[in-house]
Amino acid sequence: MRRRRSLWLILPLAAVLVFAVLLSFSLVRMFAVQNAMRVDAEKNMLWVFHQSDVAALRLTKTVALVELGEAAQDDLALWFDILSGRISLLNDGPQRRFVEKIGFGDDLDRLTDALVTIAPMIDGFTPEDGPRLRSALAPFTAVLGRAANASMIAEWDEFGGRLEVYRKQLHQNILSLIGIMVAGGILTVTLVLALRQSRVRNHMLRRERDFSGLLISSSGEGILAVDRAARCSLWNDAMAGMVGKTAEQVEGRRLSDVAGFFDIPPVRDGMAGALAGESSRLTLQPLFSGGRGTPLHVDLRFFPMRNDGVILGAILFMHDASDRHAAQQKDAEDRDRLEELVSERTRDLDSALRRERSAADLYHDFAAMVSHQFRTPLAVADSALQRLIRRGPRADAREMAERAGRARTAIAGLTRLVDSTLDAARLDAGQIGAHREECDLNEIMQIACKHQRDAAPDRRIETRQAPPGQATVFCDPALAEQILENLLSNADKYAVPETTLFVTLHGDGESLFCDVHNTANPIPSKDRARLFERNHRGSNSVGVAGTGIGLFMARTLARMQDGDVILLSDDDGVTFRMTLPRGREPQT
Amino acid sequence: MRSHAHAAVCGLIVMSGAAMADQDDVILEVTGKIADGPATLDRAALQTLPSVTINTSTVVTDGVHAFSGVLMRDLLDSLNAQGDQVMAIALNEYAVGIPMSDFYDYDVIVASTMDGKALTRDGKGPLWIVYPRDDHEALQDIRYDYRWVWQLCRLDVR
Repeated sequence: MRRRRSLWLILPLAAVLVFAVLLSFSLVRMFAVQNAMRVDAEKNMLWVFHQSDVAALRLTKTVALVELGEAAQDDLALWFDILSGRISLLNDGPQRRFVEKIGFGDDLDRLTDALVTIAPMIDGFTPEDGPRLRSALAPFTAVLGRAANASMIAEWDEFGGRLEVYRKQLHQNILSLIGIMVAGGILTVTLVLALRQSRVRNHMLRRERDFSGLLISSSGEGILAVDRAARCSLWNDAMAGMVGKTAEQVEGRRLSDVAGFFDIPPVRDGMAGALAGESSRLTLQPLFSGGRGTPLHVDLRFFPMRNDGVILGAILFMHDASDRHAAQQKDAEDRDRLEELVSERTRDLDSALRRERSAADLYHDFAAMVSHQFRTPLAVADSALQRLIRRGPRADAREMAERAGRARTAIAGLTRLVDSTLDAARLDAGQIGAHREECDLNEIMQIACKHQRDAAPDRRIETRQAPPGQATVFCDPALAEQILENLLSNADKYAVPETTLFVTLHGDGESLFCDVHNTANPIPSKDRARLFERNHRGSNSVGVAGTGIGLFMARTLARMQDGDVILLSDDDGVTFRMTLPRGREPQT
Repeated sequence: MRSHAHAAVCGLIVMSGAAMADQDDVILEVTGKIADGPATLDRAALQTLPSVTINTSTVVTDGVHAFSGVLMRDLLDSLNAQGDQVMAIALNEYAVGIPMSDFYDYDVIVASTMDGKALTRDGKGPLWIVYPRDDHEALQDIRYDYRWVWQLCRLDVR
């Protein structure tokens, strides 16, 4: 294939070369022939000699006529001059050279000299001079006759030779012309074939171009092309639809002037890259165009346009990927919603787990609570019943009633405590709330103190009540009583022996405060922070019975009722304060 | 040779016994279709027409020569010649027909001097029809060369 192609190139070139060489050769030959014809055709020496011979003969004849008296002296002079003119002509440059060439130079000189001797005889002619003059003229006709003969032969030889040269040159020219015709034929055939091939290629090219044009115009993708100066040279219908400008509006203009979209940095960089020879792509670029509220999201592909390695411009394919973008958005939303759902479920599960754990903890604490809180009323009841047994018959009805009543009161408190604890556990597990109602905190305080006195008769407790009518709070009485009992029991445990516990009830506009004070060493600051944690036991609790649940329970129960239990700063002991709201609305 | 020819001419003049014979002798006779023909012209008659000089080479001499004389068309116009062809006839009865158009297409002269010297009868004189051969390539042709009639003595307009 390659050999054939090179043959197609070499053959016409060789033909052109042959054509040119042969043509030049022919031209040179033609010019030579033309020149030779022009120069050589001017000679006609045979005629010159003939005329000269005629002049000599006429002069001789005139001499004879003058001798006979039939011609005048003037005729003699005329013919002598004519003959002189002829000899003069033969002595002129071109004629003289020819005469010498045919070997008659000396003869001509003799004739010329003879004219000089003849001239006086003509001027002073008398009939007696006739024979002498005729014999003097005799050599003229003889020489001129032979010269004409030689001239004829020389001219014919030259003419024949010249014809032969012409024939040779014409023969060469004919050969050259045949060569030229062959070369021309080859060139013509090559040209016809090349033309046919070119037409076929053109046809194919046109078809491909039409097809490309059809592809570009009917493409769903936007296609645009720019030249090296970034001026738009192609803009198809799809592009017009996406950007909102027609091909007529944009062709020949810079892209940055066509739409702001083409001037945003990534698009500008992509185009500049393509013009520098780098292909690149961008995905889901928002494209705002006039008249559309929401942007299209388009994928962009940039390519350089090359021809023989030279970058002619760049082409940009723009694909409307709004659907994909919408699908991605929806996926993301779905994922978010799913994550939210999962986290919500996780929260629910965590909360359930926490409730389960706290329920388990409470059940676990419940045992501790039993051992810690329930022992006191049991001890009271047990002690009352033991005394009664010990007194036996000695006990009178009043004493029996009093001791049995004390036991029953303790058991009733225990029952309340059990109920409340169960309620608290259920509450802690998120199952129930406190049964809050308006109640007199003075009464609750008295009950708690009484229980504490019953449990620990040796400890003195001083109470200071709120003014009557000022002690109403909104709370669960059982829980409030339990809080106070926890605080009192706690105070009793940690108070210096033989000292008095002080319980003071006071309040402000919104809350009632119940401060439980005992004399003791201040609580170390490291314990203060963890004092209310479940199962925490302070550093001063060594050798003191307890589970570390009392203060935790007190605070939890108080907060459940929008109240609180806090530790007040104190110099001469320890004071815990229970706060409960006066009204239904929680404090803010 | 030329000096001999001059000597011969001078001898002829002396012999005729007329001092101004060369000016008065008829040197050209014009016959045929002219106004008051036939006409005979001497040198003086020819000198009344404007003199023209042509520098040209010839086929019978070497080099370029200056020929002076009168334009053939001036001469024929002055005689009111009406023909298509002029028969030029030399002293030796050499005759050639020249188309009238030659004289209007080219500045053809009837030369009486060559290089300032008068043409004589024992040379190419007294008159020589000279074409401006070097000025026109068409005139460098054998078919024009035979129209250069020397020793011209008669013109016959036909």
